[in-house]
Amino acid sequence: MLTALPVKVIFTTDEPDLALPETKQQLLVPADIKRYGLSRILNSSSMLDTSSPVPLDFLANGTFLRTTIEEHLASEGLSAETTLTLKYVRSLIPPVYEASFEHDDWVGDVDVFGNRAASASYDGLVRVWNPSGTAIAVSSSGRNGGHSARLDAVKWLSGKQLVSGGLDRKLVVWDYSEADDGFSGSLKPSMELWGHEKAINNIAVNGATGRILSASSDGRVGLWTSSKRTAPQADPESLPAAHSNKKAKLAASATTAQRGPLAMISAHDEPVTAAVFHPHDSTVAYTASKDHTVKTIDLTTQREVSRLTTMHPIMSAAALPNSLVAAGSSARHITLLDPRESATTTSAMTLRGHVNMVTSIAASPDNEYSLVSGSHDSTCRVWDLRSARTGSADEGGGRVSEPVYTIGREWLKNKKLPTAGEGAKVLSVAWDSTWGIVSGGEDKRVQVNRGRDILNS
Amino acid sequence: MISKTPGKKRKEPVESVESDDELAGAPLDGVLSDADDGSSLAAEDVSEGFDSEEIDNDEHSSDAESVSSISSFQRHADYKVTTDANGNERYEYADVNPVYDSDDSDAQEQPNTIGDIPLSFYDSYPHIGYDINGKKIMRPATGDALDALLDTIEIPKGWTGLTDPQTGKPLNLSQSELELLRRLQMAEVPEEGFDPYPDMVPYFTGVEEKMPLSSAPEPKRRFLPSKHEAKRIAKLVRAIKDGKILPYKPPEERDREQNQEEETHYDIWANEEAQEPHVMHIAAPKLAPPGYDLSYNPPPEYLPTGDEKKAWQQTDPEEREKEYLPAQYDALRKVPGYGEFVKERFERCLDLYLAPRIRKNRLNIDPNSLLPKLPRPEELKPFPTLCQTIFKGHEGRVRTAAFSPDGEWIASGGDDGTVRVWSLNGHQEWSARLSPDESVNIVRWRPNKDAFILAAAAGEDLFLAVPPLVNDATEKASRDVLDAGFGHAAHNATTDGNNVIKKDTPAKWSRPGTKLEEKGVLLKLTVRSAIKMLSWHRRGDFICSVSPRGQRSSVAIHTVSKHLSQIPFRRLPGLAQAAHFHPSRPYFFVATQRVIRCYDLQRQELVKAIQPGARWISGFDVHPGGDNLIVGSYDRRLLWHDLDLSSRPFKTMRFHSQAIRAVKYHKSLPLFADASDDGSLQIFHGRIVSDLMESATIVPVKMLKGHKVTSNLGVMDVDWHPRHPWCLSAGADGTLRLWA
Repeated sequence: MLTALPVKVIFTTDEPDLALPETKQQLLVPADIKRYGLSRILNSSSMLDTSSPVPLDFLANGTFLRTTIEEHLASEGLSAETTLTLKYVRSLIPPVYEASFEHDDWVGDVDVFGNRAASASYDGLVRVWNPSGTAIAVSSSGRNGGHSARLDAVKWLSGKQLVSGGLDRKLVVWDYSEADDGFSGSLKPSMELWGHEKAINNIAVNGATGRILSASSDGRVGLWTSSKRTAPQADPESLPAAHSNKKAKLAASATTAQRGPLAMISAHDEPVTAAVFHPHDSTVAYTASKDHTVKTIDLTTQREVSRLTTMHPIMSAAALPNSLVAAGSSARHITLLDPRESATTTSAMTLRGHVNMVTSIAASPDNEYSLVSGSHDSTCRVWDLRSARTGSADEGGGRVSEPVYTIGREWLKNKKLPTAGEGAKVLSVAWDSTWGIVSGGEDKRVQVNRGRDILNS
Repeated sequence: MISKTPGKKRKEPVESVESDDELAGAPLDGVLSDADDGSSLAAEDVSEGFDSEEIDNDEHSSDAESVSSISSFQRHADYKVTTDANGNERYEYADVNPVYDSDDSDAQEQPNTIGDIPLSFYDSYPHIGYDINGKKIMRPATGDALDALLDTIEIPKGWTGLTDPQTGKPLNLSQSELELLRRLQMAEVPEEGFDPYPDMVPYFTGVEEKMPLSSAPEPKRRFLPSKHEAKRIAKLVRAIKDGKILPYKPPEERDREQNQEEETHYDIWANEEAQEPHVMHIAAPKLAPPGYDLSYNPPPEYLPTGDEKKAWQQTDPEEREKEYLPAQYDALRKVPGYGEFVKERFERCLDLYLAPRIRKNRLNIDPNSLLPKLPRPEELKPFPTLCQTIFKGHEGRVRTAAFSPDGEWIASGGDDGTVRVWSLNGHQEWSARLSPDESVNIVRWRPNKDAFILAAAAGEDLFLAVPPLVNDATEKASRDVLDAGFGHAAHNATTDGNNVIKKDTPAKWSRPGTKLEEKGVLLKLTVRSAIKMLSWHRRGDFICSVSPRGQRSSVAIHTVSKHLSQIPFRRLPGLAQAAHFHPSRPYFFVATQRVIRCYDLQRQELVKAIQPGARWISGFDVHPGGDNLIVGSYDRRLLWHDLDLSSRPFKTMRFHSQAIRAVKYHKSLPLFADASDDGSLQIFHGRIVSDLMESATIVPVKMLKGHKVTSNLGVMDVDWHPRHPWCLSAGADGTLRLWA
């Protein structure tokens, strides 16, 4: 402390509610101070004077300050007399393990709505959970209008409706009702949506318009409506009853309304792995496929608008609020694609860190610069897009970022990552402001990790 | 001449003495026979007497020679006055009688001049030869027998008993003469008491004698001034007086001359022409320039600490790293002289002229440049690098694995007799136990997308299954494909009557039983021996099975649509190992242990026989283009064949330490892989160019390790995803692995 010379620092921020007055922006701080000390200084009464401390992170020249200022200057090759400009932002709080919800089989997908979470399991059942880890409702089995094969996707349409899909090629829209005490509920199949020829890999919903997008292995993207009234009749050829065998008859015994798609868009030659709505425009969808492309589709005309080709099969995709598409590839990285026509480069940034296929991506619910990804390597990783560096030639250049936090499976804590994510592959991840990061996978568990608003001390 | 004869004379007796020393022989007898024994004794005696007589005789004879010369002895009248022919008086001087005592001992005796003829020739004469003057030498008188006897009784001194053949007198030899003879005989120096090795007398040594050799007094001239020098001095004095020699120059002139001398420098290299640097000239290496530590005032970090100083002083000067200690001085003028300067210069000179400077001709070849130019593996991406998914579930070895034609599903079969179908993320979706005791040796998907049919062989049974993972339309189509043959078989049976049944059919087609049928396994056909390999025709109507132990029926081609099995080969040379259909033409490849044969199915003839040179082929695969083959062998070799090029391998790769079990081409990417018993897979990049002049590029790009080796078996099978660079391996450790 005594030996460290003070360093002149200018604090800037983009967050108006945290802005410092002009006079206080320059400060002499000791050179051996770290993030925590800087955060304490800014939170002190003479500076920001917030009612409760706001944990802050500091970006120096685009990367997060993780060492002391002195070491940072040394690593950047700057002299100790330089005036350092530090941009402070609200800190991404390390996600803390909250709970695990046990399942009977692998968990194919999770989704959260309010304080309810829905999980789709490989045993063909959709379960609705409350935050304390009780399964409030379980869907009916295949004989009673439910799914007869594994489920790969589930999404909340609204607080009252769920949609799920899987290997049995149909989407089921469920009506969810809950008892007043909130400890029991029921899931009733309201509608079956037929039209795909192969397994459904992913579902996206737009709650406002009640539209559903489904991505299937048959290379097509289905556009559906959640309203039984407006849904068109199903094509009889696509219904199982058209092929009179025993199993189809069994399936048909349930009396659930069968409906067809609003549109079936043959977008890809290979399995479509993800379909997402544009975050602000419900008539635009992005589809990602194993044929290395991400396509922008105009849903009103059902035409392909643009296509972005990458080097690798894409296993997952998410649309970010800043109109980028994050595509997780089988080559163990996430590419941020810019689908806008004005973009000069298709790939805005590459996020490297996973050691296996990236199977699921979720954007942060409350900011536009962070996202979480789940991978077959048994981890979820949290990324902050503000922190980026220029990639080396080995990595193919461009902007490269590394994960801010890595969330492992809780039961594997303090153990080495299993080879090839054996037994612990993360198949799905969701990020919600109330739930935090919810992930489900091969370990038959839904794991909840909380990031924001849990740590105020 | 005179000296010679006595030598000869002396020699003869010597010889006789010599032979006498030995036993008396014939030659000795002969020699001795010259003189009678009796006479010889007498002769001795006579000769003794003669000695004195002879002298008298000499005097007498000289008298006799010149009677007139007697008068010449008178000095006063040693000439006669006679008259010559002209009447003048003529003085005739008498012969000079040189009377003097000659010390020539040899001249004493009148030598006999008869030469080398035996003396016996004169036996009948009173004389025994002639002297130098041609006078007869008379035989010495021999005494009578009594004298001889007396002589023998009183042996005179030096008696030898021999007769001198020259003179006929007894030969007497004195004691010293005998001694001389003995010395000669012994090859000694004849002179008595001669020391051949006398001690050296150091006459001329450095030791100054007490008495000088010369006692001559100092000559006078040494004390007199030299006249010659006086003359020269006088000459110089005269020259100086005359002004011819100036004793010294005036000071200004001397200065001028001195200056001139000093200023005159001659650049001996001025006219030297620049020479081409000679090849063999090697400039002397330069001394390293002085560093900071040689400064008189070096920076403090160069100064030695006390310990360093002590250590330096204690080490042997030979072993010191530096020959000096850096030292600090306030000013340059305080720096003492460098004591080691001369030594250092000297050693430098030694270094320069004693150390040979040789220009070494080193062969500077970068070993990397000798390697063939292969592209870097990074440039050949994509190829699988990491294990992405592990599929666990099989009990015992997984013997086979295959990707479904749409790339969505993975089928596997193993020692537990089950066939399993997996999703790519590792989830097992379907399984069926085909056989309780036999292992499933091979599973292969029907290559078309219109139906979803899996062929699996367990023991002698080949099962065709439709796993219930597809939509109803496809499933129905698949069932139709499989069931179509029942009608055909029934039709054939009715038309041909009992003939067909009686005939020894190569295979029996039947339903596998309700338990399996519920699972989706719809058809079973039994051949005569255990099937090890299956291969579908590209249209999906034919499937060939290889059962290496089947002898005649080892290779069978089954027609699914007709439920018909055929055996194309009556006899195969060797055990069949694998068989494949050509990907585009009606060709059929069959591999026996050493040879792969390519048959034309339409013309029914042998097209080509390929000899990879492997001892035991384990498997092979046909490139989707149809012109190339890869062959794996149990003797660890992986061979690439170009069918157009040669029947011999284009490239042989031997990178595995154990047998290669399976090889596989990727269907769309330029990749191929092999699976080996050492638990590893090797991924190769193999690009084929359409240009005939250019050969295929084969680059090993990755070795995938992960499978454990259990009971000497590693990876049993390998397959490629139909589109992505993903590779699937079946391991003997009970796992399948997907590499991406």
